[in-house]
Amino acid sequence: MEIFSYIFMTIGGLFYLLGGLGILRMPDTFNRIQAGTKATTLGAFSLLIGIGFNNPEWFPKLLLIIVFIALANPIGSSALAKATYRSSDLPENLVQDDLKDLFGGKDNVS
Amino acid sequence: MKNFLAFVAVLVLGFLIITSLNNNEAFPNYGEADISERVSQAYIDRSATENPGDITFGETTDLESGPANIVTAIVADYRSFDTLGEVTVLFISSLGVALLLGGVNRKRIDLDFHPNFMLRVGSRALFGIILMTGVYVAIHGHLTPGGGFPGGAMIASSMLLLYLADDEFRVKIKGFKMLESVAGSLYVLIGLTGLLLISGGFFLENFLDNGVIGNLFSAGIVPIVYVLIGLKVGSEISGIIDNFLTEEAV
Repeated sequence: MEIFSYIFMTIGGLFYLLGGLGILRMPDTFNRIQAGTKATTLGAFSLLIGIGFNNPEWFPKLLLIIVFIALANPIGSSALAKATYRSSDLPENLVQDDLKDLFGGKDNVS
Repeated sequence: MKNFLAFVAVLVLGFLIITSLNNNEAFPNYGEADISERVSQAYIDRSATENPGDITFGETTDLESGPANIVTAIVADYRSFDTLGEVTVLFISSLGVALLLGGVNRKRIDLDFHPNFMLRVGSRALFGIILMTGVYVAIHGHLTPGGGFPGGAMIASSMLLLYLADDEFRVKIKGFKMLESVAGSLYVLIGLTGLLLISGGFFLENFLDNGVIGNLFSAGIVPIVYVLIGLKVGSEISGIIDNFLTEEAV
């Protein structure tokens, strides 16, 4: 049981490391949001499940934290990305811009 | 001449302060103070009135101050009157904001930004978890770190989330005002009850059984008072948020 816990915790730490590396190395804001959110979501899940294997009596609380992160992280980062899209210049090498097709320009996006 | 007099006065005053502090038993020299004789040690040992001996978590009963959390023992038991003052400070600040910004006919400020469907629905789901965490922190204030003030701030932050994620949302502000006044009055009433029930008692004396240290139902009036503080702080900060995010309807 304990070995499972440490394996999960190591995976979680690795994902956190990759997320930090992504925030440091990615070229623009959108890529950084993507790297930070995806990596830390999975990293937090693994870390919390690892802690749960170590202390089974904490599992309900950890499950609640997992639900919270699963909801808060994607929603928060999407709101962040949308605010960035509205308020700052888009990167020059942007290939696909679905929001422009949907709303017709930066100022109409709500 | 004036400057010279001021200079002399400062010198004389400094000399007086330093000499009186040097030859004073209450202010020992640096590094020579015996911390185990200080008031804080009595608060930690729960030995301000009598020495209870060793305290075991989950076993010792009927201490002079029941909470397992030392900070709560000081904030909501030994110095409860002080906390009543702090709650009053928050009340007056929220009253000031309401006086400057509040009014009868209020509507939400028109923002350029309209949150989309995902943000609105997702924040409704998150609201419950944040609110529950706040209530948990407030109820367990006498056992774990936290208590009424941070718990109340969490309750208010869940309200702030709804305000930011939905541009139509407004709380029933009358209910919050009612909750705030009821919680504040109950705090004072509990204090007066301690004064009435125990002969020779004092304001905010713990008139309930202290119970086993570390249990959820222990520490007498301390958890009751802390939950009331949580409700009061939460509703006050929610009222402040509402005042900031609304404007007079024309």
